[in-house]
Amino acid sequence: MDVLQAGVGEFTVEDPDELRAFMRTEKRREMVDKVMPEAEAVRRYVKDGDYVSFDFSSFTRGPASLVREIIRQRKQNLWFAAKFTLMESTLLAVAGCLRGIDVGFLGLGSLIGKAVEEGRVKVTEWTNGTLTLRHLAGAMGVPFLPSRNLLATDTLTYSGAKVVQDPFTRKPIALVPAVNPDVGLVHVHQCDIYGNARCFGPGVSPLETAMASKRTIISTEEIITTDDIRKEPSKTTIPYYLVDAVVYAPFGCLPGGAQGMYEMDTEHFLEYMAASGDEQKMVAYLDTYIHSVSSHEEFLEKRVGLTKLMDLKRQATIKEGYH
Amino acid sequence: MICQCARLMEDGKIVFIGYGMPQIAAILAQRLHAPRMVQMYEFGAVGPLPETPFVRFTMGGPRNCYKSLAWTNMNTIFAQAQLGMVDLGVLGATQIDQFGNINSTMLGSDYKHPEKRFPGSGGANEVLTQCWRTVIVILHERRRFVKKVDFVTSPGYLDGTPGARERAGLPRGTGPWRVVTSKALYGFDEQSKRMSLLGVLRGVREAEVLKEMEFAPLVGENVEELEPPTSEELRVLRHEIDPTRAIIGKPARS
Repeated sequence: MDVLQAGVGEFTVEDPDELRAFMRTEKRREMVDKVMPEAEAVRRYVKDGDYVSFDFSSFTRGPASLVREIIRQRKQNLWFAAKFTLMESTLLAVAGCLRGIDVGFLGLGSLIGKAVEEGRVKVTEWTNGTLTLRHLAGAMGVPFLPSRNLLATDTLTYSGAKVVQDPFTRKPIALVPAVNPDVGLVHVHQCDIYGNARCFGPGVSPLETAMASKRTIISTEEIITTDDIRKEPSKTTIPYYLVDAVVYAPFGCLPGGAQGMYEMDTEHFLEYMAASGDEQKMVAYLDTYIHSVSSHEEFLEKRVGLTKLMDLKRQATIKEGYH
Repeated sequence: MICQCARLMEDGKIVFIGYGMPQIAAILAQRLHAPRMVQMYEFGAVGPLPETPFVRFTMGGPRNCYKSLAWTNMNTIFAQAQLGMVDLGVLGATQIDQFGNINSTMLGSDYKHPEKRFPGSGGANEVLTQCWRTVIVILHERRRFVKKVDFVTSPGYLDGTPGARERAGLPRGTGPWRVVTSKALYGFDEQSKRMSLLGVLRGVREAEVLKEMEFAPLVGENVEELEPPTSEELRVLRHEIDPTRAIIGKPARS
């Protein structure tokens, strides 16, 4: 199969047999209690230089409290998969945690654009769809998957994709390399102490992210019993053996919402948007909402407050489908 | 612009909706002339009937996904687009050229040192690649209608030669279909694939429209006069969809 064109963007591919060996020895088969404080989960499973992937969106069911903890622990040189993220890339970049981003969608606000213009954050171009397809390839344990997207664009030129002549139809097709993140972050509605997890509503790629990632940290709104899981197995999105840590984090999506449980905090997003074009304001934002509080609990107590929490819960009037 | 865009959404079709303005246009179309149109979202919602008033920032949340037919995920949605199930897509763009190639990535001549960096493709590349027809919504400014885009984020008719998309491996019979601005409506000539002026908003002169473009589009003999928003369209927009003016009246940024 001749390579007709090769993108020049930075990326790495895992050897599928190395990956299998990792999954065999490092992912526990026993059902063990994986509940731990978020500080411990991040300390244990996120290392400087890691590739970090994130599921769904800043507005909906995103693992926002875990991202804040990564910033609080001042992790360095991370490479971030921005497949549907709006604010996290800016937070991580201004906090000095990022080396690069797979784009997707770079994020909202001009600060993140400025970081790229000035070369402080590297990017490799993809698209939301092909970056998610790379997670599917990673989840399948194959080195690449074919796609008809990316073709004939500069996006492809600055990606890591290759164009080949498809041996079956003879038409040009793009191959996108698998991605196996060092750590995947997924926020869920419910899970048991072992990590059997449920996400309700549409989502970008919770299962692919958990399967592709070498370590998966789950934060959850509720912890339920394994008996409850076994009563309705069709509701299980992610089985326990893919999960390395379970963090109990009610309101963990804030300022985003968790469907059926609480609405996103629109006022907070407006405050974020106002800071997203101004370095000093963003530094102050990070200090207020992350560095000056020691944990998610303290964030909820001191920076959100009971009145706001009750209001956001009250606003979540649409429940159908989210249980 | 919202109304012109909504008028292009046909009843009974499957339409891929992007974030922001296209969401408003889709609700307007559903309420007025396209009740059986199926909205499709990249994060996985199929066929929702969004709750109004429209809340700013909502997309994957319950109000926008209300009463969907199915909730899937991104790989499934883009696979269905690749399969040929999506009739129409709606996109914003930073720059567009005469063959409908669009840029939403960067400005400048050196990729390594962009003068201005934008969010990038998001799902735009998939939409312009896979939907049978794509509508591009863009502000009517000379710096946006350029001879050559600084970066091809998503593919139009490439260099305009016959069969260029198919030769590159892009799905047959797809490509940009309409370009909507606040002043004009464009299509693409079947032979030359060049952008052609189809309509100008009532009260706006053709010369005024052409002056705000770096390249000269084809101009046919029957350039249509586009009707401004009707009172019914304005009523639905102002009273049902966006009473707080979260999106209406704001310039469409991409």
